[in-house]
Amino acid sequence: MAATRRERFLGKASVGLGTSTRHVFERRVEEIKPSKTDINSVIMDYLITEGYPHAAKTFAMESNIQNYGDRDSIEQRVAIRKAIHAGDIQSAIEKINDLNPQILDHDSSLHFALLRLQLIELIRTCTSTPNGDITPALTFATTQLAPRAPTNDTFLADLEKTMALLIFPRENLSPPLAGLLDSSLRQQVATRVNEAILLSQGKDREAKIKGLIKLRVWSEQKARDNGVKDLPSRLPLGLDDEVGMEASEEEEEEEDEDETMNGGADDPMVP
Amino acid sequence: MFRRSSYASVAAGTAASTSPQPFQSRPNTLSPMMNPTYSGANSLPYSTHHSRHPSRGMDVEGHHNAGSWGRGGQLPSYSSQYGYSSNGSGGGAYDGLHETFFIPSYLRGSRHMERLEEAYKARVAAQREMKSSHSNPGSLSASSSSVNLHKMVPSHRGMTHDIIERAPAHNEPKYAPLPMRWSESDMVGLELQADGLEVRFGGSSKTHDDAASIRADHCMPRQCGIYYYEVTVVSKGKEGLIGVGFSAKGVPLNRLPGWEPRSWAYHGDDGYSFCQTAQGKAYGPKFSTTDVIGCGINFRTNSAFFTKNGIYLGTAFKDILKEEDLYPSVGMKKPGEHLRVNFGQSPFIFDIDGMMRQEKKMIQDEINKADVASLHPPLDETALIHELIAQYLAHDGYVETARAFAHEVRAESQALANGNTNATIKELDPADDIDGVNRQRIRMAILDGDVDKALKYTKSFYPRVLRENENIYFKLKCCKFVEMARRFVEQQSANAPSSNRATSNGNATSNGHRNQNGKAPVINDYDDDVFDHQMELDDQLIHNGGSGDWERMDMEDSQPHESRATGEKEQQGDLMVELFKYGAELKTEFKDDPRRETKQTLDSIFAIIAYPDVRESPVNQLLDVSGRVAVAEELNGAILVSLGKSSSAALERLCQQSEALVNELAGDGGPGAFINVRKDFLL
Repeated sequence: MAATRRERFLGKASVGLGTSTRHVFERRVEEIKPSKTDINSVIMDYLITEGYPHAAKTFAMESNIQNYGDRDSIEQRVAIRKAIHAGDIQSAIEKINDLNPQILDHDSSLHFALLRLQLIELIRTCTSTPNGDITPALTFATTQLAPRAPTNDTFLADLEKTMALLIFPRENLSPPLAGLLDSSLRQQVATRVNEAILLSQGKDREAKIKGLIKLRVWSEQKARDNGVKDLPSRLPLGLDDEVGMEASEEEEEEEDEDETMNGGADDPMVP
Repeated sequence: MFRRSSYASVAAGTAASTSPQPFQSRPNTLSPMMNPTYSGANSLPYSTHHSRHPSRGMDVEGHHNAGSWGRGGQLPSYSSQYGYSSNGSGGGAYDGLHETFFIPSYLRGSRHMERLEEAYKARVAAQREMKSSHSNPGSLSASSSSVNLHKMVPSHRGMTHDIIERAPAHNEPKYAPLPMRWSESDMVGLELQADGLEVRFGGSSKTHDDAASIRADHCMPRQCGIYYYEVTVVSKGKEGLIGVGFSAKGVPLNRLPGWEPRSWAYHGDDGYSFCQTAQGKAYGPKFSTTDVIGCGINFRTNSAFFTKNGIYLGTAFKDILKEEDLYPSVGMKKPGEHLRVNFGQSPFIFDIDGMMRQEKKMIQDEINKADVASLHPPLDETALIHELIAQYLAHDGYVETARAFAHEVRAESQALANGNTNATIKELDPADDIDGVNRQRIRMAILDGDVDKALKYTKSFYPRVLRENENIYFKLKCCKFVEMARRFVEQQSANAPSSNRATSNGNATSNGHRNQNGKAPVINDYDDDVFDHQMELDDQLIHNGGSGDWERMDMEDSQPHESRATGEKEQQGDLMVELFKYGAELKTEFKDDPRRETKQTLDSIFAIIAYPDVRESPVNQLLDVSGRVAVAEELNGAILVSLGKSSSAALERLCQQSEALVNELAGDGGPGAFINVRKDFLL
C-alpha cells in the first residue's frame, strides 16, 4: 500500500509543479503515520470537552470507543452552555451553583463576567422596544454589579462601558459597544464557564485539538524563522476539497481561488 | 502542563501492559514476554526517587555497586536502600545482548528516547527471535544478517499492534544513542573500572605537562534538547587537578579538557572554567573528594552550565560550536585521582528534571500564544476545529457521527445567533456519501470481528482494493483466524464452571452497539445472488437519502456460517475442527508467499492453538480487539487511495505536518527536541 501511494505521489509530483526540495519535506510528512486511535481519541476529547453529547455517543459506537467519560457531566455542561447562548444567564448561574458553588465563589472575575452578561441581556430586552422599561436593568446594575465593581478596576471599566448601552441609541453604537451585544460575547463567556467547570473537575481545561492546531501554527512559524531547508512555501491541510493534498499540490496556484470560492459558497448562509 | 503519563508505565514495566487506560491506543510496542526483561533494567531507583535529595552518602557507599549497572542483570544493592525491591524477573535479562538501556530521569517522555527505546526493543526482540529459531549452537548463518532480523520485528507484531502508525523498523534511520560509559579506546593514561563508569589516573605522570583524559563512548545527542551528566570525585588525589566537561572527537587526550580548541571544562583545582584555551576564567568553587560535579548543555540556547553537589553554578559557556559532535569528557593529572560517572543510569543529585520541566513549559507557553486564525483564513479557531472534525468524520466514514455532529453544531450556532446572522457552518451532509457509508459498513464488520462480511463487502464494493493490496488481504485472512480462535476460547471459558467470559477480549462488549437497536439479529442463509440483490436494494435506500437504513443490512446479513447465535450451540469440537480446517486453508493459500513476514505472522497466530488458555499465554495480545482497529483502518486507507482520495484527512495531515515540523526543529537540538507530539498533544 505504501509503495502504491508513494508511486502515485511521486508520479503526481513529477507531473506537477514544484522543485524537488518540495518533495523531500512532503515525503517526510507522508512517512509519519499518526495512529487512528490517537486521532479518534482527540475527536472524542473535543466532543466531550466542548459538549456534543449526541455526536460523542454516536462516535463511541462507530469507532468502538468504549469508555468515553461521564455522561452526566457532559449533559450538565451542555445545559449551562445552552442557557448562556440563549441569554438566560440567571438559570445558567443557578445551574453552575447547583453543580459546584465554589466555581463562582473562587473566580470572581468569571462571576462578574456572567453578571455583566446578564445586565447586557436585560438592557437588550429593554432597548429592543421603544420606550422599554429600563428599571430592571438599572436595579440589577445597582444591586448586583455596583457593589462588586470597586474591587477591581477592570470590573469598573466594564460596568461603565455596559451602562453606556442604556444611553446611546442601539442603531449607532460605537464598535466596542456594539460588540457587547454581539453573540460572540455569549460564546466567550460560555467557553470560560465550560473551562472553569472542567478545571474544577480536575480535567483538562481545553480540548486537545486546540493545542494541536496551535502546535501546527507555531512549528511552521518556528521552522520558517529558523530557516529550515526544504520547506514548501505552503503546507496545505487539504481541507478545501475532497481530493485532498494531491489536488492542492497540483493546483497550487489555483488554490487561492479555491478558497475564495469556498468562502463564496458559505455566503448564502451569511445573508 | 505536560502530560507525562508514560512515567509510570516506563518505570513500572510489566504493570503497564495490563493497566486499563481508556484511551490507551498504541499498545506497548514491547511484547509482554519482553517486559520483565525490560523492567529489570529500568525499575531502578530513578523511577520515583528524585535528585532533589542530595545524598552524598549514597555516592560514597554506593560506588562499589556501580559495576553492576553495566551488566544490567543485577540490581545494585543501594536500590533496596531506597525501598526498591527487585521484582525478581530482571536477573539475567540480558543474556546474549551486550547492551543496556536506560532513560535518564530528565529525558523521560522525550521523543528521542522513545525512538532509542523502540530501536533497542527491536534489537532485543531480534536477538530473542534468533535465539529461539536457531537454538543449534553450530548454526552461524543466523547471525549473519541483522537487517533481516530487523524486518522480523514489525511483522511479528503485525497482527496485534497498530501497524499503521509506524514504519517498519528496517526503514528507521539510526538515532544517536546516549553516552553509556567511558570509551575504552578514546582515552590516554587512565585505568577504566566498573564497566567503564569509573576512571582512575593510571601509573605515574611521565612529564609534568602530560594529563590523562577520556571521552564517552557516544556523543551527547542534540535531539535530547538538554544533555546532562554527573561525575563524583571518588578521590581528588593530591591536588585535585581534575577537569569535567566535553570535547569533540580528535581533541588531544594528553591535555585536560578545556585547554585545547574544541574542548570545554570546569576544573577542580582552581574552580575556573576553560573554553578552548589554557587561560581559565573564574567560574565556580573548587571541588574535591566526594563532590558531585554536573555538566549540562542546552542545545537550544547553545550554552553549557555546571553544578556542584546539586547547586546550579550558572552559565559557563555560550556559543558552543554547533557543527561538532560533543562527547562528555573528563581529565586528570595526578596519581590517586579517581572519578565515577553517572550518565543517567542512577538518579542525579542536581534537579535536572526541574530544569527540563521549565524549558518545556517555556516552549509550551510559546505554543499557546500561537495565532490559530492565521492557519486557514478566514476560519477562526472554532470554525476551523468544526471543519477539521467534520471533514475527518466524513473522510473516514464515520457517517452517523458526522451527521450528529453537524446537527449539534448547527443547533448550537442557531441558539447563539438567535436571529443574529453570524452562523457560518458549512452544510455538511454526509447522507449522499455512499462511499462513506460503505466504508463504515466494512469497518464495522471488522470491528465486530466479522471478517467474512468485511471481505464480502470489500470485494463487492471495491474489487480492486484487495487485489492491489495483498498484504491487507493477508491480514484480513489472519484476522479471521484470530477471530475464530477467540470464539473458541470464549466458548471454552463459557463452558468452564467459573466463567468470566466476555470480560477480557470478548465479543460481547465490542458488539454492544448493535444491540442498542433493539432488534435481534436475523440469520439468513443466502447465496451470493441474494447478497448482491440485497446490496442493490440497500444502495437504493441510501440514494434516497434514508438515514440509518444501512444498519438494516447489517441486521439481516449476519455471518453466513459462523453466526454467534448458532455458534453458542455448537460443540466446542466443531469450532476446533473449523479452526484447524481454516488454519490449513490459510497455510495452503499463502504457502508460496516468499516474504518472511508472512511466515512469521502465520507462525505467530498458529501459536494460539498451542496454549491451553491463550489468555494466560505469551501470545495473548493477539486476541486483543485493538488488533481489529489497525486492520480496519488500514483497509479503509487503502479504499480511500483506490478512490483517488488522500488517504489521510486534513486533521491527520495536520498531525503529520506538525510532527514533521517538530522533527525538523529537533534535529539540531532546537525547540522541537523538547516536544513529544503524541505525548504532549494527542494523549
